[in-house]
Amino acid sequence: MSRRDARHRFRRLGRRARRRGAAWATGLALLVGAGAGSGCGVQSTVQQVRQAQTDLGDHSIVVLSRKHKTQGETEDDFVACVSDGVGAGEDSLPVLREREFVDATFPWFEPRTAPLTMDDLAKVISRPLIAERIRDIGVRYLVWIEGTTERSDEGGSLQCTVVTGGIPACFGFLSWENGANYEASVWDVHLGMNVGTLSSEATGTSFVPAVVVPLPFIARVRQRACQNLSDQIKGFLAPTA
Amino acid sequence: MRRAGTRIGTWVGLALCLLCAGCKGGAAVTVDIRVPRPLVEPVDVTMGVYFDETLKSYVHEEELDDHGAYRIDIGASQAPVFAQVFEAMFRSVAPVEVRFGDDGAPASVDGGMAPALDGVLAPRIEEVQFAIPAQTGGEFYEVWIRYQIRLLAADGKPLAEWPLIGYGKANKANYGAIDQKAAALNEATIWALRDAAALLSFQFQEQAEVQDWLAAVNEDA
Repeated sequence: MSRRDARHRFRRLGRRARRRGAAWATGLALLVGAGAGSGCGVQSTVQQVRQAQTDLGDHSIVVLSRKHKTQGETEDDFVACVSDGVGAGEDSLPVLREREFVDATFPWFEPRTAPLTMDDLAKVISRPLIAERIRDIGVRYLVWIEGTTERSDEGGSLQCTVVTGGIPACFGFLSWENGANYEASVWDVHLGMNVGTLSSEATGTSFVPAVVVPLPFIARVRQRACQNLSDQIKGFLAPTA
Repeated sequence: MRRAGTRIGTWVGLALCLLCAGCKGGAAVTVDIRVPRPLVEPVDVTMGVYFDETLKSYVHEEELDDHGAYRIDIGASQAPVFAQVFEAMFRSVAPVEVRFGDDGAPASVDGGMAPALDGVLAPRIEEVQFAIPAQTGGEFYEVWIRYQIRLLAADGKPLAEWPLIGYGKANKANYGAIDQKAAALNEATIWALRDAAALLSFQFQEQAEVQDWLAAVNEDA
């Protein structure tokens, strides 16, 4: 074979390999997209207990997480998700970011110094410097979030290997149960009382069957719990006509 | 085709190496932060403040069995954090130099051009400890910073000394499936520094010796 023929053959093989690679990548992306996008069945429940009327007026709220516990601390991205959810959409409410609030009131809302009870809060906001700062930043409601998303009941197995031709392939079946369980306590800084408790639970089973290509079917329980809790907070604190 | 397979094998090998490095490679963090000005009522005194070289250049290094080498550099944050807290805690604050005797005890204070001082605060860093979830089986990266806070009279005579322990943690759940030790330790250290700053501003006037000193200062005024 001449050098020219060899070069042609090499280019042809390269093009074929690229086409094959592109087809694999496209197929994989479509399958993964379909699996992830379709979502799995997520069951959710919400509950609400109102202890007093609310009046947001032209004030804002802040969504905070409890950080004093030694386990079961709420994930930062859940708190950010709820904060963003409440502050977005047509019925959005004015929301101050957690870090901005904690910095503005430093050192009274740090993990080890934040008030745990309404009595503690009353003591904190009775201090003129704190009362003035909270007035300045315009926060009326503190929404304390507790809870986590847990993974349980894992089963099955999945094994991946590189088969002939250098193509990765996976075989097996994995499944697990996700449970998101969150509660929000709404504190009124002006009245110095807990005005309500909201809860959002979501459960769902995720699974990944794999015959060469793994297909993840993920139950997005945390996103559902976040969306539900955000909607609940908006409804709970929405200004009444 | 064989060459393509070899190349994929190399990438898989590299990915495995990176994963292993992520599990056992330790971490190095340099924490250089400022804290917000604490919302506390200032005490009506003029306080000299002294930050020693050990405090300003403190680095904690530790080798953990099976978990690699760790280095936490917190020196750059010390003076700015303490200065911010002291400026909020007292009517006025002035930097001073403290000279120590052969026994390590404060011997004299050089206030330079500082106004008449009521006292001097000289924080000293004693120890830093940390823990990672792989060690403890827990959910958090944790950092403890132990200080000794020393209150001296304007002439350098020791008046009071008490421990201050800042504690910070970072939830491993916030750092994704791929281990991010450095980012998590950085976060835990920041919270430890903030915690120390918070406790210092709260606890200062709770110390019995400080209360005696304040009473004496107010009597002289």
